Amino acid sequence: MELRVLEKTDTELRIEVADEDHTFMNVLKGELLQTEGVAAATYDMNPEQSGGQTEPILSITTETGFDPLDALEEASNGVSDRMTTLYDELDAGFAGAA
Amino acid sequence: MADDFDVEVISRDEDGRSARFLVRGLTPAMANGIRRAVVADVPTLSIDTVRFVENSSVMFDEMVALRLGLVPLTTPLDDFELGDTVTLALDVEGPATAYSGDLETSDSLVRPADENIPIIELKQGQRLEFEADAVLDTGKDHAKHQGGVAVGYRHLQRVEVLGDRDGFDEEEPHILRGVIETDEGELVHTEEFGADLTNRYPGKELAVTDVPDAFVFHVETDGSMDVDELVLRAVDSLRDRADELATKVAV
Repeated sequence: MELRVLEKTDTELRIEVADEDHTFMNVLKGELLQTEGVAAATYDMNPEQSGGQTEPILSITTETGFDPLDALEEASNGVSDRMTTLYDELDAGFAGAA
Repeated sequence: MADDFDVEVISRDEDGRSARFLVRGLTPAMANGIRRAVVADVPTLSIDTVRFVENSSVMFDEMVALRLGLVPLTTPLDDFELGDTVTLALDVEGPATAYSGDLETSDSLVRPADENIPIIELKQGQRLEFEADAVLDTGKDHAKHQGGVAVGYRHLQRVEVLGDRDGFDEEEPHILRGVIETDEGELVHTEEFGADLTNRYPGKELAVTDVPDAFVFHVETDGSMDVDELVLRAVDSLRDRADELATKVAV
């Protein structure tokens, strides 16, 4: 996962997340939209054959007073926490069924 | 809100190769993320390079090699990293059929998940002998590395009995696929009553609704690992990526 900031202002961020696809980007976008201070979040990805930008570009707009990079960090931690909880729940569920 | 997950295993094969389980509290994005990770991001071992010593069978080397790649190999993921290889070998002389079970392996933990996959039928005087390297890679790279072969999910559906059906209405079949939640909170797969709700609730008027945030997954593996491990590894891969992103953003 290589990050490249394309555009950054106080309330806006456009960042390229190399080597990722819908699998992670969509989960991350979903989490961002639930993060405090995030006004808009989306990602754009082009197909392999398009000849243009094929790595996903994440765009975040925040409300004034919130830094988009902080929001991104918070959302990543949010995804991580959820996946940890889910991992434990699944583990327990499968152990109970085996 | 979505932090309260609830997992219930509905059915699970004894050999651990397929399972159906319900997860509550997921968003559609997470459900799809898990499905995609199971298919494309959990690596498995698969034959990738073959060195033929003798191939006097009716198939070209390339054709035999393609068939070998599709043989699922058991994959103990704790002991391997992406790109690691394991050597396998085979020597069969006709008249006989070379089966996946004839593959000799250099690592007892890595062997064909099924012993009875035919590789090629050899006639009198034909012989197949080779040495092959299996490599650990992901389904994103090549479909032969997919651990999950039939992975999908559906919404859980709630069936409510509203009352008796109007006596003059004609009874029509009410076909429904997937798992339903009854008024008593019981989880039943519709296959148990022929996928027709009128078999289970004759003469009743029903309302069927999707349960929000509740997904019933059905996962089947090729035998590289069991369903539990496959799904847990998929969730883990999503968590790892989130952690990596958090670390990189924090710097």
